[in-house]
Amino acid sequence: MCKVCVVCIETMAARQTILNIQNLVNPSLLTVKRNYKRWLAPTLKELKRRKMKMGPEPPTRRSAFLEWNYHAELFAFGKRLGEEFRKDLLQRAFTHRSYIVQEEMRQKEVGIEDPKLSLEDNQEFIRRGETLMSEYLKCHLRVALPRFPEEGICAVHGYLMTDKTLAHVSRHLGTKDIILSSDFPVEEVTLATTLKALVGALAESSGAVRAREFVRDFILTQLAGRDINEFWEIKDPMRTLADILKRDGRGEPEPRLINESGRNTILATYQVAVYSDKQFIGLGYGESISIAVEMAAHDALKRLFHTTENMKPIPFTVDVRSMSYDESKWNTSVNDWSSAKVENVDC
Amino acid sequence: MVFTSLALFVRNRGPDEFWRKRKILKLSAHFYGRRRNCYSIAIRAVHRALVSATKGRKLKKEDMVALWETRITAGCEEHNMTYPLFREGLVRCNILLNRKTLADLAVWEPRTFKSLVKVAHARVSQDGLAGVTELGDPPSGIITRGMLK
Amino acid sequence: MTAYKRVQQWNTFARVWHLYDATWQNPFESAQRIMKYLKGLHKPIYHPLNDCGDHVVVINSGEIALLGDEWRKRVYFHHTGYPGGATWTLAWELHDKDPTMIMKKAVYNVMDGNLQRRYTMQRLHIYPDDDVPEKIKQNITNQIRQLRPVPKRLDRYAPEEVQRFPKVMDWPKNYILR
Repeated sequence: MCKVCVVCIETMAARQTILNIQNLVNPSLLTVKRNYKRWLAPTLKELKRRKMKMGPEPPTRRSAFLEWNYHAELFAFGKRLGEEFRKDLLQRAFTHRSYIVQEEMRQKEVGIEDPKLSLEDNQEFIRRGETLMSEYLKCHLRVALPRFPEEGICAVHGYLMTDKTLAHVSRHLGTKDIILSSDFPVEEVTLATTLKALVGALAESSGAVRAREFVRDFILTQLAGRDINEFWEIKDPMRTLADILKRDGRGEPEPRLINESGRNTILATYQVAVYSDKQFIGLGYGESISIAVEMAAHDALKRLFHTTENMKPIPFTVDVRSMSYDESKWNTSVNDWSSAKVENVDC
Repeated sequence: MVFTSLALFVRNRGPDEFWRKRKILKLSAHFYGRRRNCYSIAIRAVHRALVSATKGRKLKKEDMVALWETRITAGCEEHNMTYPLFREGLVRCNILLNRKTLADLAVWEPRTFKSLVKVAHARVSQDGLAGVTELGDPPSGIITRGMLK
Repeated sequence: MTAYKRVQQWNTFARVWHLYDATWQNPFESAQRIMKYLKGLHKPIYHPLNDCGDHVVVINSGEIALLGDEWRKRVYFHHTGYPGGATWTLAWELHDKDPTMIMKKAVYNVMDGNLQRRYTMQRLHIYPDDDVPEKIKQNITNQIRQLRPVPKRLDRYAPEEVQRFPKVMDWPKNYILR
């Protein structure tokens, strides 16, 4: 029994519908066939039974199926993104080193002594893409969040550059079927590196400006609707807050209990506010007093860094050309942060 | 020998019942016992389920409206206002927000809701409706620019 | 879920302990108010499936005031289930036996008769006087406003205040009051 593929089962049902359509279109035939034949259901059941008996089908590449036109897919991919890619660069961006190695091994097995493949791998593009992405993301975040400390910027940037995020973007752009690599199903690492290679290829084809716009539109937008404070974990918020206030010349932070409920129950809640020189600077709540104090310190820091829930959202329509890519212009580190340093910034 | 009349005994048995019954059994896949597998029992259960679904669509809307009204009432009471007066005040100010929006505001935008309550209170005090005196003094910070007419 | 979201949810759905002083209040009107807090109808996040009810501690339930003739005429019926097990108890008799029962029954009867009722009643704590256990006193963080204003009794005023108060008329010095 030949290996049953999904296509065979569907053609049978399709044949029935085609017959129906034909009869509808050509009413001159006396027999009007509107129903599925009696043999269709039992045949489908038998095919299903045999398929179950053979066990689960291993996943196959999309390129193994019919109607696979690699060049057409590449072209469509480029156009879908709305970018102008040079054909050979785009093809190179999807070709991984592992694939080339695999092809060479295959050719050697067949017997060809000196395998000469006209394919080039995408390692150079990956490197270029990674540096461009990294540099752009950091610049944009620094422009969008001028009061946020450098450690926070690095944390957000680190999250955006993880394999998981990049693989998520890559998969939904549709690179999964076009990638040429030895591993199947395609791994997260491969997807992530392919995206970096795409950025590199785009920089080569259309210029750095288009590549940066690509990074802004596809990778930075993963931050939409997310709280940027969740990426950066401040170990001891109270001590950090105390240091910052000291540098500002303000009083020490004083936590005070504002509200509590059900002190002796499991569902005890405490609301704590932090004051400095009798001025309110932050509010926090929690299951116990220590948690509430910590959250209050976090809240005070958020208010200082302007990253509260009602902050101005990170702009995604910034003109890429107007940003200066000065590597040395970092945000202040949290260990040197003080209000005086961010005074002239409007955010 | 050719039996010419044999062909006349071939009768069309009708369409395959499998597809007709499959439509019903798909709907009864999550029922209990024979009601999900046996057609004659499933058809009755599916009919009752579809009737309940039809009736339920109306009831769901009624339930949601009642829930929204409860939530808005709770929000009003927090700011020392009653729901009928609140509604009347907003309508008179031409703020025609529906109950769903008001309930969502009461939950997620408490300060906006408080300002709405204040506007309604000001309007209701201005018009002198019954029950205003129990609410206390009308709020002072309402900037009307002559729009609370 | 980030720590911030976690504590935000904890705070939103926290159970609050309310105090209600039932001195000289109508238990049936008070029961309407208390029921609202017990079910969570005072919260904009209310939903019957949400379990958003709060605790209410009622004190001085021995000092409640019933309307008019109610003390003498209101009857509480109870049947044990066995033959001859019917009892009709007047309000004042019930109050003598257990000063918290009238308040408890009032709240119980004003609730919807569904299966949540017994569960919600567990969150109601009634005490006949001011004496509340220390642990429960520490839980309480809100007071529900009384429905009827409680006037101050004449014998609670200081005698100097009573004498200082302007009088319209006064009995002659040698007049004997019966």
